[in-house]
Amino acid sequence: MIYGDKNTGIIMTGATGKQGAFHIALINEYARQVGGRGVVAGVSPGKGGQGVAGVPVYNSIRDALREHDASAAIVFVPAFAAGDSIMEAADAGLSLVVAITEHIPVHDSMRAISFARLNDCAVIGPNCPGLLSPGEVKMGIMPVHLSSRGHIGVISRSGTLTYEIVDQLTRAGLGQSTIVGIGGDPVIGQTFSDVLRKFEEDDQTRAVVLIGEVGGSLEEEGARSTELPIAAYIAGISAPPEKRMGHAGAIIEGGEGDARSKIERLKAMEVPVASRPSDIPAIIKKLL
Amino acid sequence: MKLLEYEAKAIFAEQGIPVPRGAVIRSPDELPGRIADLPPEFVVKAQVDVGGRGKAGGILMADRTNGETIARELFGKLIRGVPVREILIEERLAVTHEYYASIAVDRSSKQALILFTESGGVDIETLAKENPDAIRKASLPLLLNQIPPFMLRDLLGSAPKELGPVIQNLYRVFLARDALLAEINPLVTTPGGPFAADAKLIIDDNALNRQGITQNRDLTEREREAEKYGFSYVELAGSIGVIGNGAGLTMATLDLIEYYQGKAANFLDVGGGADQERVMHAVRLVAADPSVKVIVVNLLGGITRCDDVARGIISAGISQPVIVRLAGTNEDEGRKILDGSGYRMMGSMEEAVRAAVEAVQ
Repeated sequence: MIYGDKNTGIIMTGATGKQGAFHIALINEYARQVGGRGVVAGVSPGKGGQGVAGVPVYNSIRDALREHDASAAIVFVPAFAAGDSIMEAADAGLSLVVAITEHIPVHDSMRAISFARLNDCAVIGPNCPGLLSPGEVKMGIMPVHLSSRGHIGVISRSGTLTYEIVDQLTRAGLGQSTIVGIGGDPVIGQTFSDVLRKFEEDDQTRAVVLIGEVGGSLEEEGARSTELPIAAYIAGISAPPEKRMGHAGAIIEGGEGDARSKIERLKAMEVPVASRPSDIPAIIKKLL
Repeated sequence: MKLLEYEAKAIFAEQGIPVPRGAVIRSPDELPGRIADLPPEFVVKAQVDVGGRGKAGGILMADRTNGETIARELFGKLIRGVPVREILIEERLAVTHEYYASIAVDRSSKQALILFTESGGVDIETLAKENPDAIRKASLPLLLNQIPPFMLRDLLGSAPKELGPVIQNLYRVFLARDALLAEINPLVTTPGGPFAADAKLIIDDNALNRQGITQNRDLTEREREAEKYGFSYVELAGSIGVIGNGAGLTMATLDLIEYYQGKAANFLDVGGGADQERVMHAVRLVAADPSVKVIVVNLLGGITRCDDVARGIISAGISQPVIVRLAGTNEDEGRKILDGSGYRMMGSMEEAVRAAVEAVQ
C-alpha cells in the first residue's frame, strides 16, 4: 500500500456537513472491518465540542492534533473554502491531504498545492474519490465492495469509471494494492508520475492500470517516468474539441490533449492501451 | 467562460494595460455618432468568439467615408458560422513591431505559465510546433503576487523594456480575474508606446460566482437548463441519448457507443446522489432532444439506490425506449421495477451499449 496504512490516523475537515458525516461512518465501518484506525477526529470551525458519527469535532486541525495522533486529512468542505482547508492541513504538519471537494476555483487549488509543497505535504485531488488500499485503509468515498486485495495498482482521473474497472479486475481475479483517484481538475496535486513513483517503491504492486481522459498530458508524462509494467485506458475518444466533458480538466484545448494523440503517444512508448474498459484485465494478465 | 475582445480589453485597461481607443456598436446606425472620437481611419472588428477571425473576414479596415457600409455588411455576415451582433471600432495603430504575450494555467507545473515571443500576430500553437525556440517561457507559483524582475528580463530578452510593465499588468489581470488564460496577440509597439491590439481572456467556470458573472455564455440553452439541476451536459450530433454518473464513466459510455459504430446524441453526467427526482429530470432533458431515438442509462455506485433510479426513469414518462445498466444498492428491486414496466435492464455497460446501438440500426 502507498500513502497510508491501517495505522494512519485521519482528520476529516467539513465533518459536520451531511456528506462529511455520512462518509466518516463509511470510512470507520471499513476501518473496523480491517482493524484500522480510520477517522479519529472531525474539524468544523465554530462547531468544536460537538460529535459526529462517533468522532469528536474540533474548531481547527491544530486543536484536533493536540488530542489525537493523525498524519492525513480528508477535505470535505465546500469549494469556496476548500483551498483554505488544504493549506490549514499542510500548515498543521500533516503529510497527506485528500481533497474530495469538486468545483474549487483553479487558482485556489494552485495556491494550496504550492503551499502544501512548501510544507512537504502531498495533496491528492481535488475533485477526486480519494484512495483505497483494500484490506488496509480507505481515505475517501470509494465503494469498497467492488475491490479485492492484490497486486495491481490503479491510478485514475475519474471516480465511477475507476469503480467500473476495479470491478472488472476483481472479477478477473486481479486484486488491487492501492487505488488512487487523482482527480478530474486541470490542476491536481499528485499526478500519474507522483503516484507511479510511490508504486515503484511498493513491494505489493506488480503492475499498474492508468485510467486517463482527454485534457492535458499527465498520462504521457507519467508513462514516460516509470519502469513499472503499465496498461492504460483513455476516456473521451468521442469527445468534441473545446467542450468540457463533465470534469473541469476534461477538455481538448488548442488541439492539445485529445484521446487519439494521447493513445498514439502511449503506444509509441510501448504502453498497451485498452479500447474498452473490459479489455483491461486481459492486458494486465499478459503483463504479469 | 470566454470573454469577447472588447470585454477583455476593458478589464486589461482597468489593470493599466494600454488598449486602442474604440467603441462598441450593436447596429450600423450607431456608427456615425461614435466615429467622431476616432481618427479618420479605423478598424472594424466583429465581436465573435471564433479562432482565425481575421482570415474569416471578421476584421476590416475602414474610414469615415466607407465605415458605415462596411459595418452594415459585417453585421449581416456569419464569421465561421457565428452571426455578428456586436462590432468594435478602433483607432488604427502605427505598428512598429508585433509581439505575443500570454499567461495560462499550466497543468504540468501547477503554476502560471508565461509565454512571450517576438513573432507576434501568429498562431501560437503553430509557432510552438514549427519554431519552439522562438517562444520564451517562465513558470510562476501563484503564491507570488508579481513577476520577479529577473523573470521579466529573461522573457523579454532584447525586446523593448516598455513591454515589461504590460506583462506585469497582464499577471495582475490573470490573478484578479481567476483567468485560465490571459493573452495579448498581437502586443504591438507604436511611436506612442505599447498597446494590446487584441485581447483574450478565459475565466475559470468554477470562479464565475466570485467574479460576479451570473450566466455562463459558453453553454447552449439545454446545457444551461442541465446546469440548473447540477448536471454536466454536452450536445452531440447522434441519436443515442446517454446518461451516466461520473464524467469518466459517461465518457467511456460514449466511447463504447462509437466502438460499436453508434453515435451519441449527448453527454449527461448526473453527478453524485442520483436519486429518483434527479434521474427523472435527466431522462426528460435528454428525451426532449428530438434527435434522440433511444437512451442508455449507465449508473454505477456504492450508494446509488437502484430502486430509486428505476422509479425515476419510469416517472419521466417519455416515449423513447430506455436501456438501463444499474449497479449499486437494491439492484434486484430496481430490476423488478423496470421489468414490470417494460424497460430493459442489462448486466453490464457493454451489453447496454450494444443493445442501444442495435435499437437505432
